[in-house]
Amino acid sequence: MELLTILILSILVNNFVLYYFLGICPFLGVSKKLDSAVSMGLAVTFVMTITAVVSWLINHLILIPNDLSYLQIVSFILVIASLVQLVEMFIRKISPPLYQALGIYLPLITTNCAIMGLALLAALKNYNFITTVVFGFGSGIGFTLAIVLMAGIREQLELADVPEPLKGAGIALIVAGIMALAFTGFSGMIQ
Amino acid sequence: MNLYTRMIVVLTVVGLISGGCLSVVGLLTRERIELNRQKEIEEAIGKVVPGTKSYSAAVEEKDLTVYKAKGEQDNLIGYAIYARGTGFQDVITLMFGTDPNLDKINSLTILEQKETPGLGAKITDGQAFLQFWENREINQGLTLRKPAVDTKEELAPSEVNTITGATISSQKVLDIINLSLEQVRSLKNRGKLEGEE
Amino acid sequence: MPAKSIGQEYMKGLWAENPVFRQLLGMCPTLAVTNAVINGIAMGLATSFVLILSSLVVASIKKLIPNQVRIASYIVIIATFVTIADRFMAAFFPPISKALGPYVPLIVVNCIILGRQEAFASKNSVGRSLVDAMGMSTGFILALLLLSSIRELLGAGTFLGYQVLGEWFKPWIIMILPAGAFITLGILLGLALLIEMKTQMRRA
Repeated sequence: MELLTILILSILVNNFVLYYFLGICPFLGVSKKLDSAVSMGLAVTFVMTITAVVSWLINHLILIPNDLSYLQIVSFILVIASLVQLVEMFIRKISPPLYQALGIYLPLITTNCAIMGLALLAALKNYNFITTVVFGFGSGIGFTLAIVLMAGIREQLELADVPEPLKGAGIALIVAGIMALAFTGFSGMIQ
Repeated sequence: MNLYTRMIVVLTVVGLISGGCLSVVGLLTRERIELNRQKEIEEAIGKVVPGTKSYSAAVEEKDLTVYKAKGEQDNLIGYAIYARGTGFQDVITLMFGTDPNLDKINSLTILEQKETPGLGAKITDGQAFLQFWENREINQGLTLRKPAVDTKEELAPSEVNTITGATISSQKVLDIINLSLEQVRSLKNRGKLEGEE
Repeated sequence: MPAKSIGQEYMKGLWAENPVFRQLLGMCPTLAVTNAVINGIAMGLATSFVLILSSLVVASIKKLIPNQVRIASYIVIIATFVTIADRFMAAFFPPISKALGPYVPLIVVNCIILGRQEAFASKNSVGRSLVDAMGMSTGFILALLLLSSIRELLGAGTFLGYQVLGEWFKPWIIMILPAGAFITLGILLGLALLIEMKTQMRRA
């Protein structure tokens, strides 16, 4: 089943953070506490899935038929920025408790390479509509997985004796490296 | 001019100037980019079907393109098959050349890969991998020889050598080629390869 | 705050306010394209192109842009230059363009660029903004150069494609893999902080 393959590929084998290096800023910035990591992950997954849909539509309904591929970057980033703004307003109105949980992370997502990266990668891979949506969703889940794992580890790290210069970003990156190494083990899963 | 109007005007002007610059740049570079792509395909075809004087695309599908390679007298001297598939880490894109009857594979060249450097990435290496793909018989499909042997002579005519430590990448390349061969044969039997002359 | 001299304005980008090592910005490309020195340099140059030109434009027209639409305008300006850089590379340097892949378009979300527009170019003269952009660019290129040199040398024994370390050296493949990128950057960040801490202590 091709869709299941894409799902596994995007969550594990080609993990957004640990393979494509996308979304490092939130990955390092929001992974100190487990619950904020979960919230960020869900927010990102939500935005990524919508972005997958919208970017596919823009690419295939407007840009490609009119030979305007060079407008990809500009159109994508503008759409993403507006999308995030809209999503934030929408959530605020519809569900204040949800906004409490996710809302503050949304503006952080705009210049997050993860979302733009998703739009660009999806365009590059040239999947059909359904596959693109699955790819977006899977990538979001992969991001969430990475950030939640990282938060779990970092909460423990707080209690460990980390050398002064490495505290914060330094040790986080080293941990990420070890995680990336572990995830490399997922390669070759797809037959 | 009140604030709202000003906002809209500024955004529109910025947008127009940006669009204008991009259109210019887009048009200027479009040809060159297309040319680069053509050159890459041409070079690959020349490599896998030696003696090609011209070529045309007979079938163009998402992960498979079949090029008819023609010689001096515009006769068909072989097929250059461009195929894409999943490798160990990411997508592998390759081109291989066959004779007009799809009996033998001339050679293989890897166009794009993101396999493990030093291991799977050896699939682009002539010495370590590609040389074992030259002049193989493909009537019954190709098989992978494991464990790897040292010289070509030790391989059966329809066998290809694996890379020690990178059996999965080697297998993936094999799978892509066997799959494309199946598809190409089916297309040929249905007369689809006579598409362009 | 006392005005910095032009020299200081430039130099701060190299160390004190180095975008990668001190400000922790622009890490996505730093990790992604530093598997070979040539890739690091190409990315550094492309980013510099976008940063310098964007800063010039933003600093020139900052008075004309209403506050509410400034982020949107900056984004369009940046995206335009990124597209130009991306197309130019695809047309004239196809192998590098392929190696860098989607990371050139991703310059548009490189926090360094938008960050500089917000923090500096929108508030300073064209001249100063130019110098600031050049300093930040140099700092960024240096960071990329450092990381990619380490990764290519240890991961493949080569530098810019030329074999530097002899046959005796068995490459540390991990350096080319994502894991190596993370770990190396982590250690470099630690080193940068260590040097900074020691300098502070000496000053005290």
